Amino acid sequence: MVLRLSNRACVLSGSARLKSTLSTYFDEMGKAGIILKSASTGIFENLALEDWIPDRVDLQNRSMLLLWRNSPVVVIGRHQNPWQECNLPLMRRLGIPLARRRSGGGTVFHDFGNINMTFFTSKKKYDRHRNLKVVTSALKALRPDLDVAATDRFDILLNGHYKISGTAAKLGRTSAYHHCTLLCSVDRSILSSVLKSNTSEVIKSNATPSVPSPVKNLLDVDPTLDSNTIMDAIASQYSNEFGFDSPVITVDPTHEGLMPGIHKMAQDLQTWEWIYGRTPKFSVCSSIVVDDVTIKLDMDIKNGAVGQCAMEIPENWLPSEMVNEFTSTLNGSNYCPNETAVLMAAFMRTVSMTADVAEKIHRLCAGVVSVM
Amino acid sequence: MAMCAALRCVSANFSAALPLLTRPAPIWTCQNSLRPNILRTLYTSSRLSGALKFTDKHEWVRVEGTVGTVGISNFAQEALGDVVYCGLPEVGTKLEQMEEFGALESVKAASELYSPLTGEVTEININLTDNPGLVNKACYEDGWLIKMTIEKPAELDELMDEAAYEKFIKSLDS
Repeated sequence: MVLRLSNRACVLSGSARLKSTLSTYFDEMGKAGIILKSASTGIFENLALEDWIPDRVDLQNRSMLLLWRNSPVVVIGRHQNPWQECNLPLMRRLGIPLARRRSGGGTVFHDFGNINMTFFTSKKKYDRHRNLKVVTSALKALRPDLDVAATDRFDILLNGHYKISGTAAKLGRTSAYHHCTLLCSVDRSILSSVLKSNTSEVIKSNATPSVPSPVKNLLDVDPTLDSNTIMDAIASQYSNEFGFDSPVITVDPTHEGLMPGIHKMAQDLQTWEWIYGRTPKFSVCSSIVVDDVTIKLDMDIKNGAVGQCAMEIPENWLPSEMVNEFTSTLNGSNYCPNETAVLMAAFMRTVSMTADVAEKIHRLCAGVVSVM
Repeated sequence: MAMCAALRCVSANFSAALPLLTRPAPIWTCQNSLRPNILRTLYTSSRLSGALKFTDKHEWVRVEGTVGTVGISNFAQEALGDVVYCGLPEVGTKLEQMEEFGALESVKAASELYSPLTGEVTEININLTDNPGLVNKACYEDGWLIKMTIEKPAELDELMDEAAYEKFIKSLDS
């Protein structure tokens, strides 16, 4: 394995012996604490790295801190409902993807101005308060006058009021991870617009809800605080807090040779079934207006698919047999605007109807898709 | 499910010894006064009689006929804190022993659940949808998680009975 060592940081290059993986490299290092930086800004690759480490690395006698940042993305918690948590049509227009993580907690927006930190430990050593102390101490070491403090909900507040960090965690068989965000210089106007759902009033669900909070960037209170400075301070404080002599290693989570199985983990996180299909059962009850006609739409969505669909449409606007055919076409389909549009196009080709009816069905379809 | 033993140290409530079982354990108390041959019969028939068996991940399974009911122990629910959501598998899902089958979300974390046995899910506790707190309030009764078939009954022999489980959790303190 070729390493380049400079200033206690080293980068693992691709010319590793095939037998050596990141795991064996850590074993050989024999360090009790290791700090990793991800070379990727892809959410799925980074979430896969979070899956890979507890699965393949021995964390019983070793703890790790992973520092990572992503290009713009909305990340929902394991048991959340994206239709309730964020504005999916806006995200599609802006090209901002959606990811579902495996830990619990609420919905967050990431961009390059946000630092993610994941603390990996054995289950015995799982201690979120101590981890957050690393973050607040690091910030205070940089700027002693900074008013940052962790709450008992494991948020970090700036000036006692603005949320700059949220926490989530996952407990596995023998190990655990606690990860949190840190708002350094995030685009707050995008953050607030994508994290506001356009359809939450029409959804009835028992998915875990987010707790909205006013937010601020660290940059807002101190323009000299940049992400790299903060990451270095956190890495340093991590070593201090836990008494480690941790090297800082940059890893490329797309390197399958170094991390066998990681590619499949990233793929699994990108399936429709995981991102949307894992949404707990919910129902949609909406009134859509088409041509001055109010149509009541009721749908039950299970595993991201339309289970039951009912529509109340005035008989003189569309005949009920047509409405029944329309709703039965939707039954069993994924609650997804693209799929629905394709189904509707096929419906209009195969079912004979007058031009007038076709026009109405087309507008009805647009109305239905608008809640997806 | 796997628990963090350190949580016990942090939580003041834990410093007192035994977590309480919410349901009485008549079979356990009877065993001590019975003669060996009767004891032997009891052990073999406990597989069918509804006695609880435990995993080291703090799940329990109660066998009634050919169906096993699965839940988490009092130790686990206390360590977990208030459960706010139960992520359970679909009926019909086939599970291997130790395979992850879902997660409980609480203020502590999303905690994965691991199947104590190999079998197929026959029922999930739908009461947990609206009332996930049942897992905390009645972990051995109304707070059950799933029911499943028992494809390999021998796996039950590998699990701990109530007495062994009590010993096990006491040992976690040290």
